[in-house]
Amino acid sequence: MVAGSKRTPENVLPHLHQIIQAVFSGKKVSGDMTAIGLVLSSAGLTLFRALLGFVVGAVSGFILALLMKLSGFVEKLLFPYLMLIQLIPVLGLAPIILSVTGDINVSRVVIAGILSFYPVATNTLSGFKAVEKDKYDLMFVYASKPRELYTKVLIPSSLPYFFTGLKIAAPMAVTASILVDTLQGDGGLGCILSQSLKHAMSIYVFWIIVFVSALIGILSSKVIGWIEIGVSPWKRTGKRSRKVRT
Amino acid sequence: MDEKRAVEIRTRNLGVTFKDNQGRDVLALTNVNLEIYKGEFIALLGPSGCGKTTLLRCVADLQQPTEGDLHIQGMTPKEVRLQKKFGFVFQQPVLFDWRTVKKNVELPLEIMGYTKKERSELADEMLEMVGLKDFAKHYPKQLSGGMQQRANIARALGLKPDILLMDEPFSALDEFTKEKLHEDLLRIWRETNKTILFVTHSIQESVFLSDRVCVLSPHPGRLSAVVDIDLPRPRSLDMRDEPHFNELVAKVRNSFEGGSV
Amino acid sequence: MAAVKKKIGRPKPLRQRIGENKSWQKASAIVLPLALGLLIVLIWQTELLHSWLDTDTFTLPLMDKIGSIMYDNSDKIWANAVDTLKVAGIGLAAGSLLGYLVAIFAALLPRLGQGSLYVIGAFASIPVVAMAPVLNNWTKDVSSDAAVRSMVSKILVVTLICAADMGLNAYRGLTEIKLYSEDMMSIYAAKKRVVLWKLRIPNSIPYVFTALKVSVPASIMTAIVSEYFAEKITGVGRQIRENIVLAQYSTAWAYIATACVIGILAYVLLMAAQTILLKRYH
Repeated sequence: MVAGSKRTPENVLPHLHQIIQAVFSGKKVSGDMTAIGLVLSSAGLTLFRALLGFVVGAVSGFILALLMKLSGFVEKLLFPYLMLIQLIPVLGLAPIILSVTGDINVSRVVIAGILSFYPVATNTLSGFKAVEKDKYDLMFVYASKPRELYTKVLIPSSLPYFFTGLKIAAPMAVTASILVDTLQGDGGLGCILSQSLKHAMSIYVFWIIVFVSALIGILSSKVIGWIEIGVSPWKRTGKRSRKVRT
Repeated sequence: MDEKRAVEIRTRNLGVTFKDNQGRDVLALTNVNLEIYKGEFIALLGPSGCGKTTLLRCVADLQQPTEGDLHIQGMTPKEVRLQKKFGFVFQQPVLFDWRTVKKNVELPLEIMGYTKKERSELADEMLEMVGLKDFAKHYPKQLSGGMQQRANIARALGLKPDILLMDEPFSALDEFTKEKLHEDLLRIWRETNKTILFVTHSIQESVFLSDRVCVLSPHPGRLSAVVDIDLPRPRSLDMRDEPHFNELVAKVRNSFEGGSV
Repeated sequence: MAAVKKKIGRPKPLRQRIGENKSWQKASAIVLPLALGLLIVLIWQTELLHSWLDTDTFTLPLMDKIGSIMYDNSDKIWANAVDTLKVAGIGLAAGSLLGYLVAIFAALLPRLGQGSLYVIGAFASIPVVAMAPVLNNWTKDVSSDAAVRSMVSKILVVTLICAADMGLNAYRGLTEIKLYSEDMMSIYAAKKRVVLWKLRIPNSIPYVFTALKVSVPASIMTAIVSEYFAEKITGVGRQIRENIVLAQYSTAWAYIATACVIGILAYVLLMAAQTILLKRYH
């Protein structure tokens, strides 16, 4: 397919060694930046911006799930909307959100926030709902206070589900951030992606971005996984140590 | 039985009715009259659907009786529960994956507001009693089913409750583990002198462990007989080979209403 | 018998029963969200929302304006909606099929197959924004007609995104089989093919729906975003962007509303299909 193309092969699919060469090449592609330097600094910018939306979305998603668990009223009021928001192509609304908010950074936080919000909210809520009846009964027999039911049972039980939500949300926040970058030229991966596609700079920059963005997507959910293992020591012991018998 | 002993739990015409999925009334338990003495080991025995678990849950205030009344030390189950006098052992070891074995045992103590030092000491004592001292720092998932159930019992004992309620605690365990835990439970009971209500569907188990076996029959759930178990204490596993043990088993088996079960 | 006893023994906690009126409980699940919806409409129509967001009715038109534009341009909107639906639908079907086939491959030949699962997983993790231009380039020679080649390119993007989702879920469905049932099949000396047809594939059906619940909305979102980068200017997503560039905000909002309706309708259809199919299965 590549060979049959009449266009420059670099546009279609350069050889891997060409891309790797471009990664290590010292040639300046923009100002005094090398290709990899430019991509990495833009990636840093994009990631940082994605992170803000991600944190806002994740925190509000968790709080909403908690409120829905605490109050049947809130759950009934908002549950259909929580479902609806998943069905709306939020990423497609990026341009209009930019027009309404008028600020690229605000719209980035809004879009990454909404995209991170619903996986976290729905997963955490199902985490709360998956707590076995026996655990409620146990706390009831010990006459625990409602607050203790939350701090000692419900919130720790929901943590694995919360992290599942985060793992889904993280790559989405990255994608959202890159997409918003393309809308306005103020740096970030999406911005130099558009520029390099318009041949304003080396096409290899584009190919590096494809790989780097895929890598960031995968890594973002891996990092969440590592954090999860870090905060839950009981997960670490699972496979390594043998089960002990009576 | 010594008639002068204090009555710990008394039920009068106790009945529970509730609605099934189709909204029909189901009589889960009817007309239960029972007096349980302080420090007694009582087995609630019966097939599925006889209401033995419902009766236990009524005592624990997990279920509200719809007829009659139930008093514990002269109080309602709710009052007793709020005074935290119950220990409850479920069929499944309801342990929290994110807590170590010791932290699991400490859970009710945390709810009671014990200090960290007191919690730690009590938990160590209970783990020692159930033979899990060396596994305090393990997480529940690392333990076998039998050890998880021991941790569960340690947790129920930690509060030094007056009454220990056990809902088929050993039914998911294999026979060897079960026998070991039977001996352990009897030893702990002897050392702590608690009133124990033990729900089971095993006739052998009920005879071996208890002072009296309360036989419940289904449809509707009712108390059909109370059999005194006059085996000497302390009991040992070889007592089960004695003719008297088998006589008692036969007596219990024959006391089910509606013939064989 | 045991199940009956459990239901009997474990009623709802007391606090849930107190003051519980069944008909109100049922009605409130509909009445409350509806009331909130009305409130949102009210806030929007009275321009309260506009003052909160510090925007105007030009950028954020009133609902009746959006409605009348949708009505006036229904032909054009319909044509664009059909384009988007084609991309999303064909891409979803092709991607799900590809994913399922890879999953079967992985279930039958774990060593080779699991590698291919990783490959489609890696493809799906490339953000749409970067994947769309790549596929635009690759499909340049497919046809001399820009409409055809940009359609193919968009469909391929959706295909790749949906394939991973279906592949991973279907693989779980084909391999996470009830304890002993695999042993039972081998006791009867069942061939691999028989195990696949009689055990693995039926077992995977609920997992297929789990995958679709994610990939149906994702296919629409992907179709819309890939339209941004496509050669041919068509589709609901592209129209949103084009109309914003032209500062025709009301028209852009009409397309946004269309996109939302498409998303919701597709999901309703999926749910209906699941109810009908799974009822027969289980």
